[in-house]
Amino acid sequence: MAVQVSTDLEENIRQFETLFSDCADIKKRRIKVGQKLGKECYIAYIEVAISNTDWKNSAVGKLLKTLRSLPEDGLVHYVEQNVEDISDSQPFRTIEDAAQGMLTGDALFFLEGYASALKIPDKGYPGRGVYETESEKVIRGSNEGFSESVKLNTALIRKRLRSPHVKVRESFAGKRTHTNVDLVYMKDLIYPGMLEEVEKRLGEFEIDGALDSGIIEQLTEKRKYSPFPQFQTTQRPDRAAMAILEGRIVLLSDNSPVALILPATYNTFIQTSDDYYSRWEIASFTRALRYLASFLAMVFPGLYLAMTNFHTQILPTDLLLSLAAARQGVPFPAVVEIILMELAFELLREAGVRLPGANGNTIGIVGGLIIGQAAVDANIVSPIVVIVVALTALCSFAVPNEEFATAFRILKFLFIFLCGYLGFFGFLVGILGVLIHLSQLESFGIPYLAPFVGADLNGYRDERDTFFRLPLDFLKKRPIYTREGARTRLKVKGQKKGGGNSKG
Amino acid sequence: MFAENWKISLRQVRRILVLDLFGLSSLMVPGILSSMSGADGVFCLALGMAGGIALLWLMQKNLQGMEGDYYHYMETHVGQWLADIFMVFYYLYFVLLCGFVLYQAAVLALVWLLPEGSYFWVSALLLLLAAYGTVRGIEGRARVYEIIFWFLGIPLLAMLALALRDVHTDYWAPVMYSGGRGFLQGGVAYLLFLLPLTAILFLKPFCRKPEKLAACGGAALLGVTLLNGAVYLILLGVFGSNTMGVLKRPAITLMSMVNIPGGFFTRQDVVMTSVWFFALFALMHTGTFHSTLILKSLFHETGNRYSMCISLALAFVAGIGFFRNTFLTEVYGIYQKWVALPGMALILLILLFARRRKGRAGRERGEKGA
Repeated sequence: MAVQVSTDLEENIRQFETLFSDCADIKKRRIKVGQKLGKECYIAYIEVAISNTDWKNSAVGKLLKTLRSLPEDGLVHYVEQNVEDISDSQPFRTIEDAAQGMLTGDALFFLEGYASALKIPDKGYPGRGVYETESEKVIRGSNEGFSESVKLNTALIRKRLRSPHVKVRESFAGKRTHTNVDLVYMKDLIYPGMLEEVEKRLGEFEIDGALDSGIIEQLTEKRKYSPFPQFQTTQRPDRAAMAILEGRIVLLSDNSPVALILPATYNTFIQTSDDYYSRWEIASFTRALRYLASFLAMVFPGLYLAMTNFHTQILPTDLLLSLAAARQGVPFPAVVEIILMELAFELLREAGVRLPGANGNTIGIVGGLIIGQAAVDANIVSPIVVIVVALTALCSFAVPNEEFATAFRILKFLFIFLCGYLGFFGFLVGILGVLIHLSQLESFGIPYLAPFVGADLNGYRDERDTFFRLPLDFLKKRPIYTREGARTRLKVKGQKKGGGNSKG
Repeated sequence: MFAENWKISLRQVRRILVLDLFGLSSLMVPGILSSMSGADGVFCLALGMAGGIALLWLMQKNLQGMEGDYYHYMETHVGQWLADIFMVFYYLYFVLLCGFVLYQAAVLALVWLLPEGSYFWVSALLLLLAAYGTVRGIEGRARVYEIIFWFLGIPLLAMLALALRDVHTDYWAPVMYSGGRGFLQGGVAYLLFLLPLTAILFLKPFCRKPEKLAACGGAALLGVTLLNGAVYLILLGVFGSNTMGVLKRPAITLMSMVNIPGGFFTRQDVVMTSVWFFALFALMHTGTFHSTLILKSLFHETGNRYSMCISLALAFVAGIGFFRNTFLTEVYGIYQKWVALPGMALILLILLFARRRKGRAGRERGEKGA
């Protein structure tokens, strides 16, 4: 049961200190206030969250200075009347709420005779600030990346979308972590019912700790056994802002630099920010290349096995002979050879990720060049297999989203197995299986394969931004995720006909 | 959340129908027609299409008066018992279709892709995939074929265009040479491959614009017949009617002969088999889906797992039967010709008359009351 804050300061201190006993990181101070220093107040804060060096200039310091200049009997009245003058301050009626308020990184202020606890903001928890994003690199466009502070991340989005229609709905996840989760969206663009559905799913679980957005993602996904992610992730504020402009919702979680975007489709995973900053020819070319890469990242080793083991008639004789010559002396069957190399590559990748930056690069070079060359020289694998595995790896790196690329990396092993034992028939079965799975997959009601499927729902307009990105003039309408009636995003002035001038 | 997302669009219906009709017909019809009527096979295709249009007209007339699903429509107009008998008739058609196409798809895979494979495992794998595709309803099924439509269509059209170089137009003659009997038999033979159109009757509750279902079927019928006509003329021009008559799957044989300019890939038959593989799978999937749907309606099952398992097991047994005893494929041909085709036309006619009689009786009662 919640304990009410009383006018008796000693009782409040007792309750508060019981709650925070054995917490060495929480500083608690009794301070005398009033002109004659005849009244007592109590301040509590987390050690590094409040400025110790510049105490006088902080909000807490200024409040104390003011309280020392006022007569004792007018202190409570002053605090009650002037609470709102302190930016982001908040009075709490119960000890538990007050404690929770302090744990967000602010100072807590109790005053004798004042039946509330006042949260006074300061610099808060230490954070990283705005740094360049390490993934999702672009050639053209902003390099700012999200950080671990949800407030900073919200501000980075707000900086790009200076509209009162941008709304931020705050909630908390994690029974013990009380992680701040913000849903950022554009009120007039969001599809009706979407926000309620997201909130419903967020309310469907109660976990002790949500330390990263990844935990929230996994708990709110509908098809948990699918290798394909149903949320798009990004570390780029411009990508998040772009998604909000399409009527999608961005979920920011405190302590996580990764924002979740929903709904997500195959197409959105292939898109990058600079697709829209670069000219359409370049954007279309790279987009088509990424689609091809996503396909090859999954099937290339399998197709190699099917062609060389089962359907050699497809290949020209010269190529076939050189392939056979390259395999001479290799003791393993081609399937084992491919699996060995793929596993070695995955090991190198994992080692490279875990090691610090410079060492990680070294591992890549050592693994790629030395181990690969040594394996070929030792006749453990054939050179062609090294080429196949390297090309497959390149393809998987060309997929812009890490989680999405991982799905293809996992499925690659299924295709190796199917094609290694069933040839091209295995390939067809695998493709059909993946296609059926993707066709059944949805992200918050949107088919995963949209707009390749169900394009009629938005008048076939979304197909203009798929394999190829048509010039921006053609993309006058927002995609299907947007509320009907608000889908116009571009109006070309002076143009009489066309989607741009028509109402959403 | 997104309105009508559980329904399928006309584009999806059209693409499913095109794949359903094209797969088996383009694989088998050229060989059948060339042995029956030689160069006149093209006219047989036209005759078969005319029969298909007549059947479609009957379907459209029934669809116009249909409220709810087909089973409910039958119950309303001919009563529970007859409706159940008709449903069993359709169930038998779709299960046997599924079994026959499963047999064809498995044989296709074994001949062209996996010569040392086992029929049992190949067909079991295909049925497993069909079950996976069926278990989550119609939208997933429609999306698969909406996606693969152009992935199959573009290579096929490209290969047919490349094959034009080898066409000898003198093989297209003589025309009007086969007798009326051969012409009629050829027309009926093609019509039998158009019977999957009957799926339209069951699609009404799932379609976003059900009033255009018959038109959609008509477009698919016309498109497939034109494509089949083109395939037939190309095959006839390349092989001649005598050779084509003995080839089991002349379309795929043609693919092994077409050379892509640049000459890197020497043979395309393996890759192009995927066109027919996917198209046959689509038709098999249609058989599975509709047989499951019918059984589910008959037994008022809330889910579809039991109905699906029974249908798949029966299709598997039928497929094994066709594989082990080729005589059964001939029996299946006789069943299609003498039971399925007339039966479907008769059911549609009975329903149409029953509806009209009911409507007339209702009007008369109204007049008397007035």
